[in-house]
Amino acid sequence: MKVGYYPGCSLHSSAQEMGESFWDLMRPLGVEALELEDWNCCGSSPAHSTHHGWALNLAMRNLLLAEEQSLKELLVMCPSCFVRLREAARQVQSDPEKGEQVSKALGRPYGGSVRLKFFLEMLRDVGTEQMRSLLKKPLKGIKGALYYGCLLSRPEWITGFDVGPYESFLENLFRTLGGEVAHWGYGRQCCGAHLGITKPGLVSSLVDRIREHARRAGANCIVVFCPLCQVNLEMRGRKEPALPVLYITELLGLAAELPRTTRWLGRHLVDPRPVLREARLL
Amino acid sequence: MAAEFLEEVSRRSGQRFEGCYHCLSCGGGCPVVEAMDYNPNQIIRMVQRGMREEVLGSKAIWVCVGCFSCLSQCPNRVHIPAMMDTLREMALEAGVRVAEPEILAFHRAFLGEVRRWGRVYELGLVLKYKLSTGKFFEDFSVGFKMMAKGRLQLLPSRVKGEEQIKRIMNGTRRLR
Repeated sequence: MKVGYYPGCSLHSSAQEMGESFWDLMRPLGVEALELEDWNCCGSSPAHSTHHGWALNLAMRNLLLAEEQSLKELLVMCPSCFVRLREAARQVQSDPEKGEQVSKALGRPYGGSVRLKFFLEMLRDVGTEQMRSLLKKPLKGIKGALYYGCLLSRPEWITGFDVGPYESFLENLFRTLGGEVAHWGYGRQCCGAHLGITKPGLVSSLVDRIREHARRAGANCIVVFCPLCQVNLEMRGRKEPALPVLYITELLGLAAELPRTTRWLGRHLVDPRPVLREARLL
Repeated sequence: MAAEFLEEVSRRSGQRFEGCYHCLSCGGGCPVVEAMDYNPNQIIRMVQRGMREEVLGSKAIWVCVGCFSCLSQCPNRVHIPAMMDTLREMALEAGVRVAEPEILAFHRAFLGEVRRWGRVYELGLVLKYKLSTGKFFEDFSVGFKMMAKGRLQLLPSRVKGEEQIKRIMNGTRRLR
């Protein structure tokens, strides 16, 4: 099965391991990625923070491209891109004026035929049982604090997406693979997003708090779903000792003993290998 | 005057603010409130009172990252992040002095990358931001580590639909 795929800028750069680990995981299940041709940046925070037209049209150009390329589904890895694309599509479909704005800027109207799909939806569609079939090395000794961040915990009535329905699936999946889920109350706290660059001190205090709570819950790593959370949680924080921050897909890849695992693990700013060695996973 | 400002913010953000009864849930749940000069509910009150200059010149509107935790907690579903988007846009249009120049510098550098390549070239973004703020050596070692680990793409990739991107991003150059 080939799936239309929107990588987004981070996955081509600082979050390469997130995409690689996901597709390496999907390939044995017979799923291949067909990258959206000529995709562009979704606009992210800087666009919606400064001009609604930039945010709308940047996001919509991708949906128009997907429609031109006859992609019925477009899979998105980064929750920020996902929310931006979804929000733009929602505006166009609910507000004729926005629809016109898009046709004017991009030369044709959006027909609304593309279904946006977040990578967690795909994991859930594949299902825990299929994942179990890939399992070679149980994640015994890994106690993960699942960190959803702000983008995944928004109310569904706003973005049409909420981590709620996935939470129990993810916890189950993690347990099925032999890991232990840490119970903590900080999984939905914001990581500070782009203030990680402009207000490092502020974001460090947020990260310290997240680390402290993860550690108190007995976690030996933080499990993330977003490229920006990943970078902030590794790069910032001052007082609390750092905890490894792994993408869920990297851990799945580790459990499935995918060949490129060691390459992803070597790219982290907080080296996860000591913890993994201690758990005899490496 | 007061009514005019309120009416404009209301119309452009699609929000009505009379539902706010200042329960302070928004600020209580806000992860970045400590860096704000006014709490989110105070901004609402100031909008209602027509305090255009103070609102558009505040730090709060720029510090908000749009994490939506205020909205999740608001008993009356006042969409504060949408209000903040509108206020920032109005501040730029009015040409007021932006109280958080570094945050705007980041947005500007980011959008400059998008305008130029259609995508964000992270290395270029960071360098441009650092140069424009003069904080070149802050984070130098982290940046170096990321490069050494291959976490930053060395060369930008460009979209083919350049013209279309330039048309979409019309006006980015005017961002001060």
